[in-house]
Amino acid sequence: MSQSNGNHDLFENLRLELRRGCLSLAVLSQLRTERYGYTLRKALAEQGLEIDEGTLYPLLRRLESQGLLTSVWREEEKRNKRFYRISAEGKLMLKQLGAEWQRINSSLNGIL
Amino acid sequence: MELLDRYLQAIEFWLPKRQRQDIIAELSEDLRSQVEEKETELGRKLEDAEVEAILKRCGSPLEVASRYRPQQYLIGPTLFPIYRFVLAVLLIGCVVPRFLIWLVFLLVDPAHRGYLHMENLWVTVLYFAFFTTLAFAIAERSGVKLEALNTWSPRKLPPVRDPNRISRFGSLFEIAAAVVFNVWFVSLFWPRPIIDLYGAQLTLTPAWRIFFWSFLFLAAANIAIAGVNLFRPYWTRRRASLRLVADGLGAGLFCGLLKAQVLFGISAPSLPAPKAIELTNVINLWMVRTLPWAIVTMLVILSFDVYRIMRLRCVHLHGGSIGPVVKDLSSPMVNGN
Repeated sequence: MSQSNGNHDLFENLRLELRRGCLSLAVLSQLRTERYGYTLRKALAEQGLEIDEGTLYPLLRRLESQGLLTSVWREEEKRNKRFYRISAEGKLMLKQLGAEWQRINSSLNGIL
Repeated sequence: MELLDRYLQAIEFWLPKRQRQDIIAELSEDLRSQVEEKETELGRKLEDAEVEAILKRCGSPLEVASRYRPQQYLIGPTLFPIYRFVLAVLLIGCVVPRFLIWLVFLLVDPAHRGYLHMENLWVTVLYFAFFTTLAFAIAERSGVKLEALNTWSPRKLPPVRDPNRISRFGSLFEIAAAVVFNVWFVSLFWPRPIIDLYGAQLTLTPAWRIFFWSFLFLAAANIAIAGVNLFRPYWTRRRASLRLVADGLGAGLFCGLLKAQVLFGISAPSLPAPKAIELTNVINLWMVRTLPWAIVTMLVILSFDVYRIMRLRCVHLHGGSIGPVVKDLSSPMVNGN
């Protein structure tokens, strides 16, 4: 029982590790269209990549502080929302990361 | 929405001041959107339990807030192994010898165990731990980069250590030191009724004769072992066992000497008789009081000897070793000679 729990925890850790790098790529990709946090989460979830708010918002802040995103507060439906969009630098990074992802993916497909 | 506001307030407390309002506004918007969506889906206002379920899923306020902070640590992963090593060496070096000495005092000379206050030991340990941690935390904060991390080269790394190899320099030094010491020892302490020591006359009890010849015999045995080690510089089980026996006998003799009160009297031209008696008693007393310290030192030496034999036994039985793997299979110790 405890070994089964240990395996599950280990799997969970490795899964999170695997996802971590992919999330930045997915977020940058989705923000080619301007979105605010909640709609971004929904868009990602619809594509099968669920991400909780506790992970998404710190990630958005980090990407913005790295100059890969820009954001603006704007009122919509009588509520203030922060809209994000990929920056020019972010687009370049997305292109490079996308190519790297393709390379890793094809290597892994061969290995697995 | 009271639960939601309380939740946001709890998160706000742990956030970096400059970003608080911004983060809370964004998080609040997301959570309210979630609540509204659920209400639209159910066609009614959410009950407190349902709001609570949403908030529970988000995580505890501290957990949520911590994700907005950069990873923080007192001592980083690069310095941490060095910190742990230094702390272990300091603590072991501080605690183990004092505890052993206290224990030996308790067994051998309980009347004077008060010389070592164990209560002070814990304060010392805390001081050690505190200042070591503080020093490493300051080094981490100030961004100290260890020079060795940038300038290291495989050529500068220490050579592969063979724990069973005996340094020839060590053997030579051992022989030279033993010869010099024993010449001095014999010239000054050759058993005779009165020993002249730099102007003072020492009268020793007859027991001294036994100690003298035993020490001399042991010294000769140790020089012989060192001589063999010089030409065959690998420990064998036989030689390691001989070293253990020699050290054990030496330890027993030395402790016996401290306890035997061999100094019968002392005299010197400028020393009045009552003072001489007092000095004799003081020297004998301090020799006895040194006994626990000597026992601990001897125990440490004997532990090393035993460890050496166990290591050789391990090599012999399993072809492995407790220390690094010995590459030279042609060395005599593998054959257990």
